[in-house]
Amino acid sequence: MNEKGANIDLLFRNGLKDFEVLPPPGVCDSILSAVKIKSRPYIFLRIAALITILLTLSFLTYRWSRELSVGPSSPVIAFNVPVSLPVIYNPIDNPQYLREEKFVPFKNSSDILTVTDDQATIQKEIETTSSPDQIMNILKTKSLFITNNEATDGLSLTPLITSKENPIKINLPDFQYFPENIITKPEKRWSIAAMASPTYYSSFNSGSDALSKQLVASEQPLVSYSGGVAFSYKISKRFSIQSGLYYSSLGQKVDGINSFSGFQKYDYTKGGTNFEVLTTNGTVYANNPDVFLSSDGTNRVLTAYTNDVFDPKKASLQPINNSLDQNFSYLELPVILRYKIVDKMIGINLIGGLSYNLLVNNSVYTTIDGNRYSIGKTEGLNPLTLSSSLGMGMEYNLSGKLSLNLEPTFRYYLNPFSVTTGSFIHPYSFGIFSGVSYKF
Amino acid sequence: MSEIKKIIKGCLAGNRRDQELLYRRHSAKLYAVCLQYSGNEEEARDILQEGFIKIFENLDHYKHEGSFEGWMRRITVNTALEKFRSRHNLYRVDDIDMIQEPDAEPDNQDYAGLEANDLLEIIRELPTKYRMVFNLYAIEGYSHKEISTMVNISEGTSKSNLSRARVILQRRVGSYTGIKKNVANE
Repeated sequence: MNEKGANIDLLFRNGLKDFEVLPPPGVCDSILSAVKIKSRPYIFLRIAALITILLTLSFLTYRWSRELSVGPSSPVIAFNVPVSLPVIYNPIDNPQYLREEKFVPFKNSSDILTVTDDQATIQKEIETTSSPDQIMNILKTKSLFITNNEATDGLSLTPLITSKENPIKINLPDFQYFPENIITKPEKRWSIAAMASPTYYSSFNSGSDALSKQLVASEQPLVSYSGGVAFSYKISKRFSIQSGLYYSSLGQKVDGINSFSGFQKYDYTKGGTNFEVLTTNGTVYANNPDVFLSSDGTNRVLTAYTNDVFDPKKASLQPINNSLDQNFSYLELPVILRYKIVDKMIGINLIGGLSYNLLVNNSVYTTIDGNRYSIGKTEGLNPLTLSSSLGMGMEYNLSGKLSLNLEPTFRYYLNPFSVTTGSFIHPYSFGIFSGVSYKF
Repeated sequence: MSEIKKIIKGCLAGNRRDQELLYRRHSAKLYAVCLQYSGNEEEARDILQEGFIKIFENLDHYKHEGSFEGWMRRITVNTALEKFRSRHNLYRVDDIDMIQEPDAEPDNQDYAGLEANDLLEIIRELPTKYRMVFNLYAIEGYSHKEISTMVNISEGTSKSNLSRARVILQRRVGSYTGIKKNVANE
């Protein structure tokens, strides 16, 4: 010994090495509850940060689009304007109507306008004018406004103090366009849409270990779907923000897992699950006591009932299938920005945004003769995932209010469904959403 | 992927089953460490609880380099030290009573028959300041310089505390083995 007292040190070091004392009961629960409480603010902070970013982006986009629309303007002649004339309202009563400077078409001189003011005076003034601007000035000074007059199937000029019982008619000169410095009808800014899509679901796998590769190789995507209701608000001529509620169902088939029924009578263990299956999306716990699971030459099924302990064939268990189906259902809350690239009869939009996906259902089953046979659940799934989406939307306007939509959309899940197995497995999906939207 | 990696990933994802699994696997060893550093079971329980909370909250900092058990043990020991620092003021070399060291150190044979439980009991009977230094030096393998920083004492104090701790332990071990031999003879 080089140091005095080293013997006593060794005695304690060796004697206490690997020494174990069971902690008192209840410590585990208090630890886990404390850990849970501390992790909550982190999630809320992330959500708050995301909402703040989206609101900031929306505000900046709105400001930007406003600046674009207010930019240098020159008189614009409207071509291809529909024959039906716009309805022009009095601005005084309702400030929500937007003020715009533009030309609107008028019918030719044969159109008849109805006024209740002094017909002769107004008619005289209008006939002596030489330009549409001057005519509009007359209308303004007389506090006249133009509105649809269904009774006469045309336009009416009406003073603020109306006297419909005593209408008078005047003729307008034959100008093709009238300048307008008056109030137009409000735009339809809101729309509601019902959309649905079949989706192709798969995942990016960057795990390099043998087990991750083995898991990925044995899994095939199932036909999935997504659908729901979306609301959008037009924040400028080209930008709109969209949210809503979608339900999506995703799934995958796990090959090479043999399932048998009739195991319950051989199972003498109490509680817990007898079989665990490793998948890229978490560990499947078989909570059906009647099912027996084994894998084909891999160690993906974790169980105490290994081949040397229990042989399902000798026990005459009934084979069910050699694959499992994993299914996850999510409620999605998207926040999407849409930018209108083409604004014509067929509109084209660029779509991008984020969605919060809340896990609402998770099941694992296999099929026998077309019927589902429940196996259990996947544990370790993230209850809340965040996905980003990017797409191109086509919009065919059936009328001013109704339109058909077709939106090929790629969605990438920013955090994996589960991190208990594999490494860096990020799911993605591609769907072609179609549906109808209604503007109001 | 190793099983412990799988459990750690599950814990990071907030999977309660994996958290429980991690606790069940390692709590007994870590509780023994806590008992070694504490004067009573209540204190040991507090250290274990605080230590495990830190372990769960810092799992993302574990880089899978070196022993995971060693990493958890270090966190537990640091938690015990924090508790010690918060409860005890600094003490100086002259605080220590001069205890006469025994002339000869007993050899290993004298220790025969002592079990881990006995050793734990003996070590827990040490005054706190001696127990801390002895544990850090003799069991964990820290140097006096490192201990002086960890416990906030001078290197000289660390050396003196260790020396006193050894003297007390040798006496206790001697009397313990004597008692055990007497019990066995009877």
